[in-house]
Amino acid sequence: MPTEARAGGGGLGVRLTLRLAWRNLRRNRRRTWITATTVALAVMLLQLEVATIIGVERQSMDNLIWYQTGHAKVFAAGYFPERDELPLDRVIADAAGLARRLDAIPGLAAAAPRIVFAAQLSDGRDQVPCTGIGIDLEGGETEVFRIPQAVAAGTFLAAGQPGMLVGSGLAELFGVRPGGWLTVVAKTRHGAYEALELPIVGLVGTGNPDIDRSSFFVPLATASRMLAMDSGATEISIRFGSAAGQQATLDRVRSALATEPGLEVLGWRDLEQDYLAMATAERINNGIVLGIFVLLGVVGVANTVMLAAFERTREIGMLMALGLRSAGIRVIFVAEGALLGFLGAAVGTALAVGVMIPYAAYGLNLTALYGEIDLGYPVSDRLYGAIDGTALGVTLLLTAVLSAIASFYPALRASRQRPAEALRHV
Amino acid sequence: MVAAARLTDVKKTYRTDHLEVAAVRGISLEIEPAAFMSIAGPSGSGKTTLLNLLGALDTPTSGMIAVGERSTVGLSARELADFRNAHLGFVFQTFNLVPVLTARENVELPLQLQGLADRAERRTRVEAILREVGLGEMMDRRPNELSGGQQQRVAIARALVKGPSLVLADEPTANLDTATAHEIMDLMREMNARAGTTFVFSTHDPLVMDHATRVVHLRDGLVESDERREPGRAH
Repeated sequence: MPTEARAGGGGLGVRLTLRLAWRNLRRNRRRTWITATTVALAVMLLQLEVATIIGVERQSMDNLIWYQTGHAKVFAAGYFPERDELPLDRVIADAAGLARRLDAIPGLAAAAPRIVFAAQLSDGRDQVPCTGIGIDLEGGETEVFRIPQAVAAGTFLAAGQPGMLVGSGLAELFGVRPGGWLTVVAKTRHGAYEALELPIVGLVGTGNPDIDRSSFFVPLATASRMLAMDSGATEISIRFGSAAGQQATLDRVRSALATEPGLEVLGWRDLEQDYLAMATAERINNGIVLGIFVLLGVVGVANTVMLAAFERTREIGMLMALGLRSAGIRVIFVAEGALLGFLGAAVGTALAVGVMIPYAAYGLNLTALYGEIDLGYPVSDRLYGAIDGTALGVTLLLTAVLSAIASFYPALRASRQRPAEALRHV
Repeated sequence: MVAAARLTDVKKTYRTDHLEVAAVRGISLEIEPAAFMSIAGPSGSGKTTLLNLLGALDTPTSGMIAVGERSTVGLSARELADFRNAHLGFVFQTFNLVPVLTARENVELPLQLQGLADRAERRTRVEAILREVGLGEMMDRRPNELSGGQQQRVAIARALVKGPSLVLADEPTANLDTATAHEIMDLMREMNARAGTTFVFSTHDPLVMDHATRVVHLRDGLVESDERREPGRAH
């Protein structure tokens, strides 16, 4: 049998479909707004949660870069796989000289040698295993890291002055303050034990638990003497000049050191693979929970579309009589659901942005709200939300898509009616 | 001459789990082109079922149905939709306009469904037919801003705008007062005469039947009488 070919494909076209969807939503405004409000609340919470997650991740990355990894590090070959042991037998010789050579590389802001070593801190009664970090007070240390800015009590280390900076959590554990003394016990590079009593000149609070709870800082010269490192260091930390072109700078550093097989260069992402994996897992976990939250919102959309389709059964029959195919009926109701979801999501997003602006500007003082808590991320006590246009847009569109998907079943039911029966509906 | 529509021994039985109702029990009819035909009969006689079968809104249990030279039996739901879109116009008892669209947009709907992409041509055709049915000044009103008679005029314009070969009207005057009913019948008759479009309408109102050139009476799903007459006008 011949069929009637149609340029319009038996549908209403995008413009008319959207116009119909919009006007049909306005037919029962109260119901539309109740449903849209449910979606809006879900999306608002989702957007705020996403802003928090992105904010936490950005703060964490900044924290790691400013207090722990820099943008990159140079190690002696074979050091990195054994880094947890803090070995002193894989050392960069003439570290200060190498740091100066690195400084000359375009795009590199500063390079600083460090000696990171395993130690025990003791106050005479208790002994706590922790990480000692020897920092070069005369080189680029303060350009690579922001330890001076993180001094929460007392002062920063001074060149030529004996002293130590202790992580705030560690100081709390010992019950010490600036002016107190602690003894450092560590094995030298040659395996002999060495002890050194040092005055505490300041406390460091970075928000990074690895530093605050289990690290202390001493001048590089002090560490070098104590550990018999001569002119060697365990690492050279590097800061790049600008955010743009970081990979190119890293490549230049690698090229510059290519002729020295005893060294390897790792970017901060390589250094913090564990953190990045944890952050990805957290993002997936949060995504699942929040996805369920939004799904509950779009179930309301499906319900509204189902009611609308039922109320408009005779209209569906009339449209079928005019020649609208079943697919066209489905498109009408799916578009209505998508538009309803989009409307709710747009309102929710607008509300969320209204909250996000002060959240991003002033942050949320977690310590004031909850006391000392561990978020599992290296962030300070003030949490800043992040306004991310892509995340806002994706969430908005995703809600509309989920609403469309949720509307498909009621739309399918509506489209499966026989026209004669639909027209008889009272 | 090819008939506008032809039904050959058409039967329609509705079945549920416990019940079987024979709504149409073997009807054969040949509807000549440009006919203005009324299907009459009491409630339950099979008028609406017959119109639904003729309009490809429902499928017969057995028998043959053809509109023009095309048989509608055995077509898929999609093919039936396309067939209705191309060849048939409908006018309903309750007008069945889309309430969120204006008169102009309601009448434009079948043209958009046909895929007529030229907006200017759609506009021209819609405005012409709305003027013909006497709604030239009310094109941008929504159905709730129109009287029942005006809404039915919009429905007639919507049925005719695409130039169908057959217009089916199920009790088109049942929801109208007598004077408006006659106006609507006059309008349909005028359109029938002007364009040669075949009209088949159901009614149980003898005054409305007076407008028809042919009246087929149904009773219990069968043709009781088939009467050709000169159309009159009873007030």
